[in-house]
Amino acid sequence: MSIRMLNPNAEVLNKSAALHMNINAAKGLQDVLKSNLGPKGTIKMLVGGAGDIKLTKDGNTLLKEMQIQNPTAIMIARTATAQDDISGDGTTSTVIFIGELMKQSERYIDEGMHPRVLVDGFEIAKRATLQFLEKFKTVVVMGNEPDKEILKMVARTTLRTKLYEALADQLTDIVVNAVLCIRNPEEAIDLFMVEIMHMRHKFDVDTRLVEGLVLDHGSRHPDMKRRAENCYILTCNVSLEYEKSEVNAGFFYSNAEQREAMVAAERRQVDERVNKIIELKNKVCSGNDNNFVVINQKGIDPPSLDLLARAGIIALRRAKRRNMERLVLACGGEAVNSVDDLTPDSLGWAGLVYEHILGEEKYTFIENVKNPYSCTILIKGPNDHTIAQIKDAVRDGLRAVKNTIEDESVVLGAGAFEVAARQYLINEVKKTVQGRAQLGVEAFANALLVVPKTLAENSGLDTQDVIIALTGAHDQGNVVGLNQHTGEPIDPQMEGIFDNYSVKRQIINSGPVIASQLLLVDEVIRAGRNMRNQISS
Amino acid sequence: MGLQMQSHGIQSMLKDGHKHLSGLDEAVLKNIDACKELSNITRTSLGPNGMNKMVINHLDKLFVTNDAATIVNELEVQHPAAKILVLAGKAQQEEIGDGANLTISFAGELLQNAEELIRMGLHPSEIISGYTKAINMTVETLEELVENGSETMDVRNKDQVLSRIRAAVASKQFGQEDTLCSLVADACIQVCPKNPANFNVDNVRVAKLLGGGLHNSTVVRGMVLKSDAVGSIKYIEKAKVAVFAGGVDSSATETKGTVLIHSAEQLENYSKTEEAKIEELIKSVADSGAKVIVSGAAVGEMALHFCERYKLMVLKISSKFELRRFCRTTGAVAMLKLSQPNPDDLGYVDSISVEEVGGVRVIIVMNEEGGNSVSTVVLRGSTDSILDDLERAVDDGVNTYKAMCRDSRIVPGAAATEIELAKRVKEFSYKETGLDQYAIAKFAESFEMVPKTLAENAGLNAMEIISSLYAEHASGNSKVGIDLEEGVCKDVSTLCVWDLYITKFFALKYAADAACTVLRVDQIIMAKPAGGPKRVQPAGPGMDED
Repeated sequence: MSIRMLNPNAEVLNKSAALHMNINAAKGLQDVLKSNLGPKGTIKMLVGGAGDIKLTKDGNTLLKEMQIQNPTAIMIARTATAQDDISGDGTTSTVIFIGELMKQSERYIDEGMHPRVLVDGFEIAKRATLQFLEKFKTVVVMGNEPDKEILKMVARTTLRTKLYEALADQLTDIVVNAVLCIRNPEEAIDLFMVEIMHMRHKFDVDTRLVEGLVLDHGSRHPDMKRRAENCYILTCNVSLEYEKSEVNAGFFYSNAEQREAMVAAERRQVDERVNKIIELKNKVCSGNDNNFVVINQKGIDPPSLDLLARAGIIALRRAKRRNMERLVLACGGEAVNSVDDLTPDSLGWAGLVYEHILGEEKYTFIENVKNPYSCTILIKGPNDHTIAQIKDAVRDGLRAVKNTIEDESVVLGAGAFEVAARQYLINEVKKTVQGRAQLGVEAFANALLVVPKTLAENSGLDTQDVIIALTGAHDQGNVVGLNQHTGEPIDPQMEGIFDNYSVKRQIINSGPVIASQLLLVDEVIRAGRNMRNQISS
Repeated sequence: MGLQMQSHGIQSMLKDGHKHLSGLDEAVLKNIDACKELSNITRTSLGPNGMNKMVINHLDKLFVTNDAATIVNELEVQHPAAKILVLAGKAQQEEIGDGANLTISFAGELLQNAEELIRMGLHPSEIISGYTKAINMTVETLEELVENGSETMDVRNKDQVLSRIRAAVASKQFGQEDTLCSLVADACIQVCPKNPANFNVDNVRVAKLLGGGLHNSTVVRGMVLKSDAVGSIKYIEKAKVAVFAGGVDSSATETKGTVLIHSAEQLENYSKTEEAKIEELIKSVADSGAKVIVSGAAVGEMALHFCERYKLMVLKISSKFELRRFCRTTGAVAMLKLSQPNPDDLGYVDSISVEEVGGVRVIIVMNEEGGNSVSTVVLRGSTDSILDDLERAVDDGVNTYKAMCRDSRIVPGAAATEIELAKRVKEFSYKETGLDQYAIAKFAESFEMVPKTLAENAGLNAMEIISSLYAEHASGNSKVGIDLEEGVCKDVSTLCVWDLYITKFFALKYAADAACTVLRVDQIIMAKPAGGPKRVQPAGPGMDED
């Protein structure tokens, strides 16, 4: 072979061998992820190199943690990751859809069809499906007051595929309220304004939404209050600690008096800044029992802390930058970068600030704020893997709600869309296509069925029965999905099962592209260093 | 051709050294096996007659204990499923501070019974739904079993406290519980704040001093520090205390300073000003009325000299936390720099004395009147491991006290609660129609593990005990438990063995959660263990000691 002449060590797979390698890899990955799909999917346990445990049902997490090596599988995994980046959900669906496309193509290719023809069919089918999706979607108008019910349904559909039912239902409310809290109709939703904080404490069902902020650190002075009501919040980014000068400076002194003076002078600058804050505190807090809380992004050194504590101020140091933004949104006021012109206007307000200590860790809760535009989802769980699992799910749930608000439309779930699209492709699109590309359309249409099929399989139902029942109902003009418990067709609208429009569109868009690319590969060449070691594996 | 057609399946796609287990046989049953092994280890330590384990950890430190939390912590369990159980135990330990053994053993028992159900042909998801129903039922029932009138208690009444912590301490140090309990109760009641819910475990300290025996142990109102006073004054009574966190020495600038000296005369003068400065500072402290100086950092030679001259006692406490506790004990406010203290910042002690106990010099800080904020249990024992074990028992007792401050409800101990739960949950299972009734019944059966283990560990005939317990409970005596000393069933209200409701609640809940989590997993993907020094191959199925 020619490549051998160029590089005698290179490895080559060509023609059908290459194609089959790709198909097998895609099918293999599908097999792995298939059992994750849907609310009845099973949980996988991932054990990291250091023996750490992760439990997940989320396709994206799984792909990230699995460290896949096969080149084809990596390509598919990347598509799935892209899916997650764009829409936050649907990774498992992407992978199994690609796998199914390859599986369907395999049949035709084995019968002697050229991959190019199939790919042409895929392209036609993809375009038709996207058009169909536009018609099929349910438009939801998001005015100033979004319909909470529909958001809840979308969030519930997503969360139930990641967590067990009782917990998912509880998180649904939390997630929807969190997004609505930070939503400002004029601006795009920034999900970073929802802080996700976790505490290893109690049970997973104790997870809750805090209207306000939870910081994962506490005050560093033993004499500061642990709990304060009616607090002014000063958000600042001012260094309250002595900083060494940049130049290499030194003092010369000849007696202890002079040295004492030096020590005092060194502190003066910092003390002045602290005193300005104390001044402000005295100004706003005199005559009432309001409290004053300073949250600083930079450090506060012990002498300054001491001064603040004596003035009855609660001071937190080294807050996260992101939390500074959130604080301003949650409590009002503005973040100050200098203490020179402090005014009461720059102060935020919170009804309750308290510290919670869990073993070694301290948490500061800032609650009862007015008009918050930022909030915190406080995840609790008895151990790290539960927390990680909830964290991933919450992230996906938030994305789902955000997508719905931005798309202003949803798609019927429980496999209803897939079955409807398939029927549309077979009954209408296929007839308009000339020649062998028809088979490509057919393969694509059948591949869509993988979603309801897998849902049925994971629920322990008979796949064929389910598909026949579903397609039958669709032919009669009813849009139905799959009831996971009984295997009977149901109306997803009645059950409140809705998927994100953008998730579905992304799946339909990216799936066929990657599948086409893989089908059109006719040679796999592995060359370069280190291949001896790898190949022997 | 090296790139062969790879067999499809996940194995080929993973990096070298990854392991992938899936399905019922490979994952679920293996996980259950591992958990069973773990719970078999802890089970024999359950209860007052539990056996001690000798555990040598990776640092070659020896532990002799029957405290499950310590055992599983030092075992460094590797198996992922067994680890879930360990995590549940740890969560219990962090939440309540006691009952870790019940959590792990009960979870193990639940899984063992789940295995039987799986072999019977039930699907794990059905078992999970059954177990979930059962635990909800259990929690409800548990609430009904709460002893009447126990919702309110006086946390300062020693008898009431004793009755509640007795069982917890007895399960760690059987036979010595009376002595220990009264120590723990005394110490806790002393430091109990006005609002008992704010009780802080940190305020009850334990000082372990080698030598003597348990009967020499005492409770000190104040602190015991394992160090010596710095100066020559070793005893002082009714004195004011000044605390300096930053050390007692001449002050220094952050920026490097250099003394500029031109002549010998200046050098002499410089030392004099230096001395004068320190003298001035120390004098101002002495003038403020303080008799004791406590330093959080080094004490300068020169400063010490002047302290001696002004008859000040000097202590050095280098741990920041210890210093904070000291401030709490004496009511002092720590000052950062050596300067004249405000009268408000001074603390007060009844006495500070340096004593030699068992060859170690200790400072005993007593504050009988003003400060009731810190107390110390001085434990005496002949070996380090005995002391460690006593400490764990005291810790459990203190944690139980804390839990009781939050929720003082109690349920009958000595397995009476478990049998009653078993009975009621079983009745509940008969009412269920679905497949999960088998799982619920098994859940009920799992409760038998507790009396069985208690009896077995005490060398009694477990079957006989359980059947007579059931008989008693069936006739309505819902408070009958095992009297381990006599080996008969007795009403626990005569035995005075009570467990805290909240401990049982969390232990059972965590156990059921952990068991369900293990059952939910049907695939395990294990990465290649990270590099680092080769571990000694474990002997068992990868989860024994390391």
